[in-house]
Amino acid sequence: MKRFSSDYYLYYLLNISLVIIILFPIYWTIISSLKTPPELISKQQTFYPHTITFEYYERILTYGFKEVDESENVTLEDGLLSAGNIFIAFKNSFIVTIGTIILSLIVSTLGGYAFTFYKFKFKEYFFVFLLLPILIPSISLIIPIYILLKNLNLLDTYTALIFLHSMSMVPLGIFMMRNAFSSIPKSLREVAILEGSNDFKILLTVLMPLTIPGILTVTVFAMYVSWNDFILAFLFISSEDMKMLNVALKHIATGANQWEMKWGDLTAGSVVSFIPLIIFYAFLQQYFVRGITGGAVKE
Amino acid sequence: MRRSDKEQIIGYLLILPAVLLVLIFLVYPFLNSFYMSFHKWPVFGDAKFVGFKNYIKVWKDDQFWNSLYFTFLYTITVTPMLFALAIPIALLCNIKAKGSTLFRSVYFFPVVLSFAVSAYVWMWLYNESNGVFMYGLRYFSIVSDDYNIWLERNSSLLAVNIQITWKFFGISMIILLAGLQSISDDYYEASKLMGASRMQTIWNVTLPLIKTSIVLCLILSIAGSMQVYEPFLIMTQGSPANSTKTLVMHIVDVGLDYYKLGPSAAMGTTLMIILLIITSLQLSILRKDNK
Repeated sequence: MKRFSSDYYLYYLLNISLVIIILFPIYWTIISSLKTPPELISKQQTFYPHTITFEYYERILTYGFKEVDESENVTLEDGLLSAGNIFIAFKNSFIVTIGTIILSLIVSTLGGYAFTFYKFKFKEYFFVFLLLPILIPSISLIIPIYILLKNLNLLDTYTALIFLHSMSMVPLGIFMMRNAFSSIPKSLREVAILEGSNDFKILLTVLMPLTIPGILTVTVFAMYVSWNDFILAFLFISSEDMKMLNVALKHIATGANQWEMKWGDLTAGSVVSFIPLIIFYAFLQQYFVRGITGGAVKE
Repeated sequence: MRRSDKEQIIGYLLILPAVLLVLIFLVYPFLNSFYMSFHKWPVFGDAKFVGFKNYIKVWKDDQFWNSLYFTFLYTITVTPMLFALAIPIALLCNIKAKGSTLFRSVYFFPVVLSFAVSAYVWMWLYNESNGVFMYGLRYFSIVSDDYNIWLERNSSLLAVNIQITWKFFGISMIILLAGLQSISDDYYEASKLMGASRMQTIWNVTLPLIKTSIVLCLILSIAGSMQVYEPFLIMTQGSPANSTKTLVMHIVDVGLDYYKLGPSAAMGTTLMIILLIITSLQLSILRKDNK
């Protein structure tokens, strides 16, 4: 493409218009969360906040969402309308996400290591077995999983979510880590063994530093799966102080009255929810792409 | 103990955590789902074998058919919308120019957002009195002043589809882009030598060469759409009159709200069979491609 040719202008014109369209909803959410209530609900749309306010942020960070009315018939759905706090929800999501990242990394590093360097019977069958989470959609198993968690006394715990999120990470994790380990020359490990270090030490000090891209891909995806999960957190967590961030947004949204959403609070809550993702994405976006295409897209 | 025996045991121990996770949280519920679908589950007491009764109950449940129909309707409408955005943008991203990586990361960004955030962002845009999307539609006199997009099934479906397209086209775009980048420049040079126009080249050279990527995206989109739950749970809650209730939403309602575990498991099994057919197609295509 020649500079300043008609193609050149067309290319940038197209891209810049698309960028504006794609980012507009995000921009709109951010500015909505900063507008004062009269400006937010005025019929005249303003495309930037004329006066900036942080009152929605203050409100969702300090107060609960709603008092529980004991006289109401409390069902699973109504339980979600009860009190909570976005700060607690943020902490809950953070704990589950960190837990999922750690468990996924342990599981997939050990697994990937075994599949690359060890010989054992039925190895190929085990590998296919571990790809089952791709083949069997766990969303169609919601009810049996609910019963399983109930029997294991795991309903309403961080552990349940960490296990379920890590389970869905198994195929990608094992696949990524096996690829990462197989790109290391086998002789490197043999030399280390001859020098007399044990397997575990070799894995930690010699091999793992060479698989950083694989480890980052697993980390980024575990974070993505866990931080963004809505449905499992919605169905399997019921107490107020255990609510995850995405479910807390539903809380803010429905607020006191199901038909009258608190948009200021909700846009502020959404911003709080996607800021960690934006930061993660800014630094590690190539690993998101790697995870989806198996490293096929060039920079 | 022989060295190879020791190696085997260590090998099994290393994969044990992964195997246990899949066994306990996927394979066991999977088998249990089959078992449950052939049993009656009273609130108290033991399960009783009832044969295909649960399946027959599901067969006679109107809402099951409505939900299945709506889920199909969603799938066949959202998939073309995804492609309509993903293919042109993938072609655009394949052009090597200053800033192309930056543009690509922006296009991929909505994928990273959660279902919940994406849904609420768009619900605010669609808000009947203050939403900027509605403001735009009113500004160009496309809709009347008191128009509410959530009052009809088709407009609700379109609203959710736009949201999903915005959120997910990035995945298809990246997969197609990976396909595009694997095409050798020789093809384009040959096509240029033969005097083909740009559109002819795209239609006759580029698209056929990324057929596998297109089929892969198609199947991913279909399999993903059949499992849709969150967007409708958050944005429409099945309204108006349960007409936007998806299959998964119905499965969860029947199982957890009405506590009819048998029929719910029977529906889950049905959905799984549909999805297994779709995903096994996907795997067979990928295997063919790898040969």
